[in-house]
Amino acid sequence: MFAARRLATNAPSAAARLYSTAPPVKPSVKLIAELRKVTDGVSLTKAREALAASNNDLQAALKWLDTDRAATGAARVAKLADRHAGEGLVGVQVLSPGARPGAAGAVRAAMVELNCETDFVARNELFGKLLADIAHTAAFLAEPAQGARFIQPVSCDALNEAPLLDHLNPQAASASHATVASAVRDLVTKVGEKITLRRVAAVARDPFPAQQRHLGLRVFPFLHGSVALPTNGTKGTLALLALKSPQLPELITSEEFQKRLAALQRSLGRTIVGFPTTGVRSLDGERDPDALYSQPTDMFMDKQGSNVEEELRFWAQKHGLAGEGAEDGGIEVLEFAKWSVGESLEGN
Amino acid sequence: MFKAQLPPTRVIARRLYSSRATQALYSCTRSSVRHPTTSHSTSCRTVGRNLIFSRGYAEPASGKFSRAKPHLNIGTIGHVDHGKTTLTAAITRVLAETGGAQFTDYSQIDKAPEEKARGITINSAHVEYESANRHYGHIDCPGHADYIKNMITGAAQMDGAIIVVSATDGQMPQTREHLLLARQVGIKKLVVFINKVDMIADKEMLDLVDMEMRDLLATYNFDGENTPIILGSALAALEGRDPEIGATKIQELIQACDEWLEIPPRDLDKPFLLPIEDVFSISGRGTVATGRVERGICNKGEEIEILGLGTKIKSVLTGIEAFHKELDRGEAGDNMGALLRGIKREQLKRGQVIIAPGSMKAVKKFQAQIYVLTKDEGGRYTPFMANYTPQLFIRTADISTRLSWPEGTADAEEKMVMPGDNVEMVCTLHNDVAGEVGSRFTLREGGKTIGTGIITKVLETA
Repeated sequence: MFAARRLATNAPSAAARLYSTAPPVKPSVKLIAELRKVTDGVSLTKAREALAASNNDLQAALKWLDTDRAATGAARVAKLADRHAGEGLVGVQVLSPGARPGAAGAVRAAMVELNCETDFVARNELFGKLLADIAHTAAFLAEPAQGARFIQPVSCDALNEAPLLDHLNPQAASASHATVASAVRDLVTKVGEKITLRRVAAVARDPFPAQQRHLGLRVFPFLHGSVALPTNGTKGTLALLALKSPQLPELITSEEFQKRLAALQRSLGRTIVGFPTTGVRSLDGERDPDALYSQPTDMFMDKQGSNVEEELRFWAQKHGLAGEGAEDGGIEVLEFAKWSVGESLEGN
Repeated sequence: MFKAQLPPTRVIARRLYSSRATQALYSCTRSSVRHPTTSHSTSCRTVGRNLIFSRGYAEPASGKFSRAKPHLNIGTIGHVDHGKTTLTAAITRVLAETGGAQFTDYSQIDKAPEEKARGITINSAHVEYESANRHYGHIDCPGHADYIKNMITGAAQMDGAIIVVSATDGQMPQTREHLLLARQVGIKKLVVFINKVDMIADKEMLDLVDMEMRDLLATYNFDGENTPIILGSALAALEGRDPEIGATKIQELIQACDEWLEIPPRDLDKPFLLPIEDVFSISGRGTVATGRVERGICNKGEEIEILGLGTKIKSVLTGIEAFHKELDRGEAGDNMGALLRGIKREQLKRGQVIIAPGSMKAVKKFQAQIYVLTKDEGGRYTPFMANYTPQLFIRTADISTRLSWPEGTADAEEKMVMPGDNVEMVCTLHNDVAGEVGSRFTLREGGKTIGTGIITKVLETA
């Protein structure tokens, strides 16, 4: 690594050395200002170095900055390694929400926590965009899991090596062919704070085969404390709903049903994030006060039931999922993951 | 560290003046006495302790409140590596030479424990200094949410700010967020300190930093042209070398603060305000309203106005009584009784205020910045949505209020507020009450304090 760094920095450092004795090119202040306007977060000294090394050519200087960032970014990250990054945001990207009209009904989404040192940086748009991009990448790369659990933790190391996708324009490969790790490094050089990818979870499920058309899955996010992007927040959840009904194929094509379902998802999201929920339902018949199903329905818009479990039953009946007997259909929350920025990780 | 928290008597005495002069600290201690809530008592304990100290020491010496130097709360905002702490240490060092501060070195500032347990996340307690004509309380502003919370609860307040930027980096992407915070908390004037100028040899480069900063200030509606920008090296000042970029520049910085930053009006200079705590009728004399003067001065025989809870009547102050003695004058801080001409006992209620005529309005609806207490702070443990209706306590009044989102909020119906959130919401009061921008209040429900707030915009008056 060291050798590579030396190679890469050889040219600029030679230029800098020259400059200190007899400046070959004096970097124009105008161009420095220009350069800093074009690219967000280039420090003054770097901008000047870049222009000195590239003979006051703006385009060349931009290129120089790119290679320099790749070369010195690692050193910068190492320098900040022992600092504490306890602020940041949780971001969720849903690429395919599941049961919906005109689509196969596959489920694909991911939730990511990215940390930094101060919430000033977390509020900055560069940080928000990087988080959304990483979440998009994680969702894109998620492997359909065959295990019992739908939402699977993803190794940060594996994701770090992956090429970063732009969440707004995923088709265009990232300009510099950056990986997640190198994009994080780039941001570190721009904002000068330690930034770490803390945890990643993703869910991916292929659509149900045709003979199981009465079944459907939905994945939905909920984020609280968003600043700029609604897909990023300080607290977030990624949750999974299962729908079952003989009428499901017709229901999901109805616009009204989709609207109602989205409203239900938001209510569930608020309840999951807002209340101290730890699991979906009480285990072994014991009443668990932290189970989602035993929470009050304060967060539902037109509530009928006294707790979430009843509310879901009523909802299924009202919207034609379930008939009189509960046997032939219904709606239930399968699982959820709930994160809040900077919380201590225990157990999971 | 302990030493730093117990400064010499002289300094403590000065703290008495300063806490009298700053309305924020003052009203905060008072409201904690009145509504002994977790939030208030926790956030004000530091201040309270200082007051108790100062009472013990200062009173025999100086007797009456002296207005030696006006006080200003100042804060440093900047990137973690740009030298905020070094600058703070340098200021105390330079001013210590003229006796204006006690030198607080880097490690004392940096390692001071944040008073997290008490709900104070900003270690603001122990750095203070004074220039030739002002006294400054200095805080560091480590985060956006932290600062907003502390501002609302009254634990920390900035009347002005020093933005610290390193000359080697120039402004950074988050510098925008720093300026936005200053804007949001109502700071109108800033001073910029460009640090580490000894690392940059080129004068033109320094001009560029200066120019960029002015551009950015203007973008965020600060006075970019006239804002003082001082270029120096805090480290040089701290180490006592190169005075031309060190100590001299620190002095320049302080002078810039003195000249550019405006002092908020002191309690005594504001119009008279007495919140009514209790009402008596004394046979043969008339109706007396008692309470503690929040601000201003009143004289016997002056015209006053009684406002709030559906009332707006004028009367004349025919007598002032405090400590069982007749007085001609009452002023901020006095516990007094006001004898009012031609007023019946039934016309007065706890919760109304007696004010200098026309100095305040009774509000019915306003926008406010609210901090919602967490479960650990004694607040709610569940979230709420719009149309939540807690009790609002403002001064001595207690009114039920409906909370809703400001007009134009996206998905207002569906927005949730969680304990620990800072939110900007609209309060619609059941009864009108005297209030203005900057008035503090608390929200309670079922005997629990669930939030505390500051009025930011009056939307409807009675």
